[in-house]
Amino acid sequence: MIDPSTLAGFRWLENGQSALSGSLLDLYRSLDRLFLRWAANYGAVEYRFPAFIQAKELAKLDYFRSFPHLVTFAATLDESEGNLKRFIEGETINREGEIQLTAQAPIRDVLTPAACYHFYIQFQGESLAAPRHVTTRATCFRRESFYSPLERQWSFSMREIVCLGTAEEVKHFLTECRGRVERFFEEIRLPVEWKDATDPFFNPSRNPKHLLQKLDPVKTEMVFQNRLAIGSVNFHRNYFGEAFQITREGRESFSGCVAFGIERWIYAFLNHYGLNESDWPELDRLKD
Amino acid sequence: MRTEEEIRQSLRDWIIKTSGKILPEELTDETPIIERRIISSLQVMDLILFLERLSNKAIEVDDLKPGVFQNIDSIYKNFFEGGSIDRP
Repeated sequence: MIDPSTLAGFRWLENGQSALSGSLLDLYRSLDRLFLRWAANYGAVEYRFPAFIQAKELAKLDYFRSFPHLVTFAATLDESEGNLKRFIEGETINREGEIQLTAQAPIRDVLTPAACYHFYIQFQGESLAAPRHVTTRATCFRRESFYSPLERQWSFSMREIVCLGTAEEVKHFLTECRGRVERFFEEIRLPVEWKDATDPFFNPSRNPKHLLQKLDPVKTEMVFQNRLAIGSVNFHRNYFGEAFQITREGRESFSGCVAFGIERWIYAFLNHYGLNESDWPELDRLKD
Repeated sequence: MRTEEEIRQSLRDWIIKTSGKILPEELTDETPIIERRIISSLQVMDLILFLERLSNKAIEVDDLKPGVFQNIDSIYKNFFEGGSIDRP
């Protein structure tokens, strides 16, 4: 197993984040171009979203009860002059690097935990005249109990291709896209297996949503070397359609997404093909 | 002893009453009740309790296989057919 922190063009930050440059940044961009070419096969329109999501929107998904351990809140100081003065006249930050907050403003936003949430908020209340394919890449934030370079980061890049439509339209997209990705893994001989999985719910044994996902699997992960999920295919049923009143053919829209964790793909490439750039597959030359 | 049709009808009645999202004429024994979210995650817990009462047998949640609650047909086959619960 490689240690990416020894690589030129890689810097690991102790707060669970990484910085890329040189050949690793080239690989990051090549991978994202590949995912964009796949997205183009479905006519997916690309979006660029901001970093914050309004908490009141995520609450429609019961997100805070399902994933309290993952969420990163956007905390700010209460803006009253007295409070700000108290802050600057205090310690501001202690020796452990912990900010010594005085009064906080109400927290109304969180940092994006998954790229595709933005779409359901964006399309809220719409009636879709046709299946809709869209794509975005977002920096996502998930608190974890430990971090590991490229494998498990507090902030990481997620490219998603999303389909909203009828159950049949969404299933057709997911099946087709999974086939495309499978063929790609065979072509570049990357050892990836597909495995049913569930979302990382808090206290899963007590969460009925977790039980439901076990009984009716809706998430299949692309698992590298039997240990690291580098992407996933997800069928959301009409969960988001219902939560955000998105309809298709008079009923709540179904949705599904194919998600790629770009840093984890880099990890898989480095582990499987080695550290030498000339040994990596030439992604821009591959047929889609 | 209930007949197969009586059991299936009990399942239909329970789903229609509990869900509130589907009309009796829309619900067949093949209607995907989980995929279409006719039954929610919270209601699945109630469904398990209902099946325990209807079959008079305990259900071990950890032993449940994917697909058992797909529709009325799969529920009947897994929990009532052959007089015993089909454990994986």
